[in-house]
Amino acid sequence: MLKKDLGLLLLILIVGTIVATINPRFLSPINLSNTANLIGLFGLFSLAQAFVIISGGIELSVGSIIALLGVVFIDLIANVGLHWGVAVIVVIAIGILMGMVHGLLVTKLGMQPFVVTLCGLLIYRGIARFYTQDATAGFAFGQSFPTLEWLTAGRSFGVPHSTIAFAIVALILAVVLHRSVYGRYLFAVGKNEEAARYSGIRTDRITIAAYVICCGLTAFASIFIAMYTRSISPASHGNFYELYAIAAAVLGGCSLRGGEGSILGVVLGTILLQVLQNLVNLLGIPSSLNFAVMGGVILIGVLADQQLVAYRQRGGAPRAAPAPAALQS
Amino acid sequence: MKRLLISSLAVAAALSVGAANAQEKKSLAFVVNGASDFWKIAEAGVKKAQSELPKYELSLKYPEQSAAAIQQRLMDDLVAAGTDAIMVSAVDPKTSTEALDRIAKQVPLFTTDSDAPNSKRLAYIGSSNVELGKDAGGLIKKALPNGGKCVGFVGLPGADNARERIEGIKAALAGSKVELVDVRGDDIDQTRAKRNVEDTLAKSPNIDCMVGIYSYNTPRIYEVLKEAGQLGKIKIIGFDEDPITLGGVKEGTISGTVVQNPYEWGYKGMKLMAAYLEGDKSGIPANGLIIVPGQVIEKSNVDKFESELKSRIAGK
Amino acid sequence: MLDLVGISKTYPGVVALDRVDFSVAPGEVVGLIGENGAGKSTLMKILGGVVAPTSGAIQLDGRGYQALTVGDAIAGGIAFVHQELNLFENLDVAGNVLIGREPLWGGPLRLMDRAAMIAQVQPILARLGADFAPDAPLAELSLAQMQLVEIAKALALDARLVILDEPTSSLTLSETERLLRVIAELKAGGVGIVFISHRLHEVERCCDRVVVLRDGRVVGTLVGARIQHEEMIRLMIGRDLRSLYIPPQSPPGSVMLEIDGVRTAAFPERSVSLTVRRGEIVGLAGLVGAGRTELARAVFGIDKMLAGKLRLDGGDVAINSARDAIDQGLYLVPEDRKRSGVLIDMSIASNISLPDLAADARAFLIDTAAEADRAESQKRSLGIRAPGVATPVKSLSGGNQQKVVLAKWLAMRPRALIFDEPTRGIDVGAKGEIYALMRQLADGGVAIIMISSDMEEVIGVSDRIVVMHEGAVSGHLARADFSEQNVLLLAVGKTIAAERAAAGSAA
Repeated sequence: MLKKDLGLLLLILIVGTIVATINPRFLSPINLSNTANLIGLFGLFSLAQAFVIISGGIELSVGSIIALLGVVFIDLIANVGLHWGVAVIVVIAIGILMGMVHGLLVTKLGMQPFVVTLCGLLIYRGIARFYTQDATAGFAFGQSFPTLEWLTAGRSFGVPHSTIAFAIVALILAVVLHRSVYGRYLFAVGKNEEAARYSGIRTDRITIAAYVICCGLTAFASIFIAMYTRSISPASHGNFYELYAIAAAVLGGCSLRGGEGSILGVVLGTILLQVLQNLVNLLGIPSSLNFAVMGGVILIGVLADQQLVAYRQRGGAPRAAPAPAALQS
Repeated sequence: MKRLLISSLAVAAALSVGAANAQEKKSLAFVVNGASDFWKIAEAGVKKAQSELPKYELSLKYPEQSAAAIQQRLMDDLVAAGTDAIMVSAVDPKTSTEALDRIAKQVPLFTTDSDAPNSKRLAYIGSSNVELGKDAGGLIKKALPNGGKCVGFVGLPGADNARERIEGIKAALAGSKVELVDVRGDDIDQTRAKRNVEDTLAKSPNIDCMVGIYSYNTPRIYEVLKEAGQLGKIKIIGFDEDPITLGGVKEGTISGTVVQNPYEWGYKGMKLMAAYLEGDKSGIPANGLIIVPGQVIEKSNVDKFESELKSRIAGK
Repeated sequence: MLDLVGISKTYPGVVALDRVDFSVAPGEVVGLIGENGAGKSTLMKILGGVVAPTSGAIQLDGRGYQALTVGDAIAGGIAFVHQELNLFENLDVAGNVLIGREPLWGGPLRLMDRAAMIAQVQPILARLGADFAPDAPLAELSLAQMQLVEIAKALALDARLVILDEPTSSLTLSETERLLRVIAELKAGGVGIVFISHRLHEVERCCDRVVVLRDGRVVGTLVGARIQHEEMIRLMIGRDLRSLYIPPQSPPGSVMLEIDGVRTAAFPERSVSLTVRRGEIVGLAGLVGAGRTELARAVFGIDKMLAGKLRLDGGDVAINSARDAIDQGLYLVPEDRKRSGVLIDMSIASNISLPDLAADARAFLIDTAAEADRAESQKRSLGIRAPGVATPVKSLSGGNQQKVVLAKWLAMRPRALIFDEPTRGIDVGAKGEIYALMRQLADGGVAIIMISSDMEEVIGVSDRIVVMHEGAVSGHLARADFSEQNVLLLAVGKTIAAERAAAGSAA
């Protein structure tokens, strides 16, 4: 697992060095700070996605949740006039509720995660658009929430607060995933749900908790993203963000079959994706190639990783050979 | 894949809604190219027209996504549901000629916002994006009398309205010392729109002016420059009338914005279609172009424009 | 028709096969036995053309080869019926038998000719005495029927040499009988057969000649009357047969586990009652599909019990999930080890600690040192052969994987343990160790139910046998009445005279 993360770090450093050589402004404090901000925004919900992927599921409604809860949040504080603290709680509570519903549908009613969350994607997007009658939700000119803005979009010593929030969340989740009983159970359920059940794990609860963590954290991320764009057109806000999250998780070593992945990997995956976006702008690559660059690097990254694993396994073949009959008997 | 799924669901939804509508009144549809506030103003114009056209049922339709195929399906569904005339802001008019012709063969078809001159549409009602671009170019020259470098920001750089505006800007800047060095696209993703401005600022801090080509681009530029403390130092020129844009113009931090008149498009277009259905074809000029001129909004006239806008939306 | 001379296969650092001679004549049934790792699989891979021998010569149908290719093997009429069946559950029987060779019509349209398929498959099924039709969906067949489909597939390919790899390991007693009849039928038709099995009494019954492999060498060939149980085991493990039965140290104690009127979804109209005392190993015999595994799953809380009660040590217990059962000290070693018993990709330590992780945790965080310690002590006491407790379970042999499943439960405080086919696919040496462990547990006061379809095991290990037939208990046997005949009779729903006495003593 560590080797995988190291490889990804190496890839980030290589890409970074190339970009910095071509355009030294890549390393300018302002650019690093801006990129860190986006890493924070995208990282929060990528970590969330990782939990569901490790459980063996997938959460496709991330982008729509971000749009719906972003619209709700802005509406609550800008139009309804709710205190932003209350609005934060309301939004995260809705996120948790969504996760609970997804989890219950997947476990108790035995629906496939892909189907459940695909419907979530469509439903939440539709509700978001209906909520504002397709209008953009945003603040009036000059309307401001100094504390909230400082907390979500502010910077201390050049470090964006979204990045700090991301770092804290990543740290907590790393402990939960790699050190806690829940984390171990999650890996067990993701790897082999049946064997986990035979070991006395209440697998349904573990899976539901994964969706709750995912949607709750996505709700948290939606607040940061809403405060960053400050205006949300519900039809396009957060479109394809679930794919950014899945891409970051997969780059970071999560297996879509479940049971594999690490928080460090997802963090590095997010960093690589955002550096790639930054690179497109900094190197003056036509914006239309944005997704192509991203897809190409993910493909190369995952392919190189797999080849490396296969190579190591071939290298280890002689030692594994003493029991050739154990291969099949 | 996601798009495909969404569109097929939408078709199912549209079909069922369309079938449910009783066809007592004649119905006219205004199909826009995507959800945006801009079309809210047009909707006000449509509502005004509705109040004058009691025998018609007017509606404004949004495709689920700004994709030509999805918009095309929406129109096919409308025709199937018995709509009598359509006015459309085509997502991709250049390559949709055949598809538009298919619609035009069945019902009277008008274009707005972005024209499809090679198609069999009856007429185009709207601004000329090239002219709007030229107006913006004029604003840029005025803001930078000593010349300088500009970067443009846009949602879909390949879309016709974007291309024509850029063409207009470049035409107006030709021969001056001002240069439009780059245009960054964001696929209508607000996060990327903002990030594009941030990255441009990081890449070339000595840029002199930024142009927000789609309506939401200008507010994003405004926010980034405000956070970076560059308001006033880097000139902003915008299009359209986002509240933040108008606020910036009022404040003096945005040099000016070029607005279209979607209210007129909606109002005039609907009236024209109703007249056409009743046999009155006098409203259609020989060249098929009904240009509703844009307006340059600067600090001097922003208040007047804003109050007029408000009264139009409120007046219904 | 097949003659292997001096076949050797070496991998770097290990000799898998050492100058092995092996031949099969038409109409001959040759048994190939040996412990896991003796070289049977490698030999079969050479026959299948998957692996090339390092040296030696192969004669197939009079043609000489250095090494076979997969194509040579198929063209030479060699067909495999593997332990793990290679069928498509979403097709019907005919579709499976003729997969890839479907009769076509319609020229370039390449449409399947269903009628021709059925017509082709029907006679083959008849020859095998199959009780299902060519158009039966495969998913509706039993494991034994699926195995016949595999054999039909081999015959449809015009196979002259059929290799059966552990064909009876998942079959019930009567199904095994039928398979042995099929083998006799094939033999009469001039087909050569290689029969690989751990179940020696079947080898004894059907083979003309038995080749015993040990450590990659042929250590003996038995013919005719010399094919005897003790002799085969002696050759396989190189030592004399010890009786499987280890008598308990003391007579069984009070009733520990009481299953009272339990109904499962498999046979909702029938209920099962049985009791197990402390220190007692009760063999639960019966045909596959008699409802034994379903009973175990329901008792362990995996499936819902439709009715009935469970008592442990005299007290009623409510079990709604595996967690509840585990909390009561009632554990299950499941039938399908790789699917349900262990998490194959996780380490030995993680597998052992999984059901009782809270014991190794402080404030929700796992104390990995305590976890490793506990695993280490289990590894020592059970003799799990692995480099360390961090080794992933998938790199262990079947026997050692089963020990990991056991270690998981022994690290806690078992009161009652249910073993479902505890030694399936495990070699003779490891089997003995598992039996010894079961006895050790029983002697420690644990009540044990052992579900098994292996006659040797049921008779050799149990203190008492309970036989199930179609979802209900059909009889009890005390040790004095143990015999293959008696178990078989009860398993098919008949009664026996001696049964009454045993039932009386158990009630």
